[in-house]
Amino acid sequence: MDAVEKANAERQKRWVKDRKVGEGTYAVVYQGREASTGRKVAIKKIKVGQFKDGLDMSAIREVKYLRELHHQNIIELLDVFSSKTNLNLVLEFLDSDLEMIIQDRSLVFLPADIKAWMAMTLRGLEFCHRNFMLHRDLKPNNLLIASDGQLKIADFGLARDFADPGHKMTCQVITRWYRPPELLFGCRYYSSAVDIWSVGCIFAELMLRTPYLPGESDMDQLKTIFRALGTPTEEDWPGHTKLPDYVPVGQFPRTPLRDLFTAASGDTLNLLSRFLVYEPRKRISVRDALNHAYFFALPHPSHPSKLPKPATQTSRPLEELDGNVEMAGAGPGVKANAPNKLKRKLTSPDGTELRPLARRLDFTQLAKHS
Amino acid sequence: MAADSAANVVDAQVNSSIGKISLYEGSTQYKSWRYSPEQLERIRISLNVAAVAAIRNTFEADEPGSSSNVLFLGAGEEQLLVKLYITKIPQLCGHFRFPEEVEATAISYLKRFYLKNTVMDWHPKNVMLTTLFLATKTTNNPISLESYTSNIPKTSSSDVLDLEFLVSQSLNFELAVWHAHRALWGIWLDLQSLPDVTEDLRPQDIYDIAIKHVRASRFTDAELIYTPSQIALASLALASPLLAQRWADSKAPPGSIQPLSETMEPTLGAIKYIITQMGHPPDVEAVREVDRRLKLCKNPEKVPGSKAYLARQAEEQRRAEEKRHKKAEDVRRAITESNPFGNELNDDEKATQLAELDDDD
Repeated sequence: MDAVEKANAERQKRWVKDRKVGEGTYAVVYQGREASTGRKVAIKKIKVGQFKDGLDMSAIREVKYLRELHHQNIIELLDVFSSKTNLNLVLEFLDSDLEMIIQDRSLVFLPADIKAWMAMTLRGLEFCHRNFMLHRDLKPNNLLIASDGQLKIADFGLARDFADPGHKMTCQVITRWYRPPELLFGCRYYSSAVDIWSVGCIFAELMLRTPYLPGESDMDQLKTIFRALGTPTEEDWPGHTKLPDYVPVGQFPRTPLRDLFTAASGDTLNLLSRFLVYEPRKRISVRDALNHAYFFALPHPSHPSKLPKPATQTSRPLEELDGNVEMAGAGPGVKANAPNKLKRKLTSPDGTELRPLARRLDFTQLAKHS
Repeated sequence: MAADSAANVVDAQVNSSIGKISLYEGSTQYKSWRYSPEQLERIRISLNVAAVAAIRNTFEADEPGSSSNVLFLGAGEEQLLVKLYITKIPQLCGHFRFPEEVEATAISYLKRFYLKNTVMDWHPKNVMLTTLFLATKTTNNPISLESYTSNIPKTSSSDVLDLEFLVSQSLNFELAVWHAHRALWGIWLDLQSLPDVTEDLRPQDIYDIAIKHVRASRFTDAELIYTPSQIALASLALASPLLAQRWADSKAPPGSIQPLSETMEPTLGAIKYIITQMGHPPDVEAVREVDRRLKLCKNPEKVPGSKAYLARQAEEQRRAEEKRHKKAEDVRRAITESNPFGNELNDDEKATQLAELDDDD
């Protein structure tokens, strides 16, 4: 065996797959462990053989960035190895995500808890931006929670380096509800401000316990945003009517955030409003956000170990494992997840949760064997 | 290989105290792909010696005595061949109009690949096509395989994809590369904001000359020994010693005794030497001779259709077959050997579970 193959085989032996915990067209995820220590890990097996263009872009992005980024609030890629025509990513095992926590109606969030999650999200994101990297898919279900309460940014399948000035990027990124208006208007030159908008939506969702701007379609998304925050004027956002996909979607008045976020402090609302500024250049940077008065005011953020977490520790259900890149055309063609995949299972009128049946079955099976 | 103790210490630091080290020091390039000239030499020689021994064995197994008059390639000759194919990458990139990032990344991949592999196993002609295609994807400039291969004469998609896994493995899946041309651009922008560098001191043609030196450095080992910014500064120094000095001195930490340009001089001198002495394509005649000999000494296990190749394939198939059998056996045993009084459903589930277990480890 060649030296390179031998090294790969040795790596492979370090990890044991225990059971399958999710499957998509693009990847299968196993729960596993490190053979020598028993440390729990998640092994994401990406089926490469089926791609006609070889290793696919989301796998490449994920490997490329996670290999470089080591930070407490970013999921750790422990190892990479190949088996047959599959690529295996060994990731640290994280048992829940912020979406599960937000939806768990039995949990009560204190303002200090929200502050802690926001601080951890922003620290992880600050590290991405400091490394000249856009995440481009921030949403509660990509913010994973470790058993010690630490929040970790995951899913780097849409990440990319900052582009040089004048270099076009695709606007088909970020799950719709968290997508900023400049992308909805087809802007091809954008910045780290796109991730900041998503953070703003997540911040609002943590307070509301339901998605803040749940648009039904791309067009409806703009309407939903403007209904909540008012239609931007030329003064609010100079030049936005000149963006490629600009369409007028109606005039809505700006309603004060206070009307919806009745219990929030002044600092909280100030920071939220700075995340959700229309003009991308005026939107707060991640560093300034971390230095915002909100984080210095009382209450102090909760210690991660004291944060609410789901009562039963079950494995995170896997949903969006599908590849999201099209190779057609000359440039990088990336399409965001299909709209129906973005539909969040909302709570039923009486407040109890409607979980899809498949998911529930999955859980019972896992519980029996764990 | 570069995972010496120093690199390990850095690794530990990254994980424990984040933010205390520079971004560059957190990169895989810094941790895994930096060598001293002596280390490079050692790696290449030991790789070559091991490859020759292995191929000699294969020859002998096929026909005893057959390896005695084969003239195997030496480490230097291997490198010469690799260098020729490094110089082909800019030509191809020009043809495709790929951005410089793609070109530089493909070249880095090719160099890194041959720090883990020998040309006697894998011909750089093929590896070059694979590294370039991989680089289009890792730098976010993907094109379809079809438009890639249809624009390169006599190339099929398997010529590109067959080695993609081997290349990624050899790169240790470390795909991000920092380049000197970016550093040079950064220095050039910096110069525009230095008060003592007036516009007439920095005409565009200085940048153009400097970038040519950066491109020449890609034909050398410079990037495996020095940081991108060191190479960029040396390239600038070749174009304009004055600008390089002004820039370096502006970056001196406060309170330093010596101007930074002086501290840097030995390093810059070494890089300038490498660029001017080695930064050009190799002599084609010499390479042609190496390539001619390579036809006689390449590893028969890697030549489709050869006896050794078929033998190796048969062995691999036998092993895979064995594994499949073992797995089927495990599933069967799970069904039959379970408690006869146990609940049937449960057994079925167990069997399904086993079947679902990954079969490729």
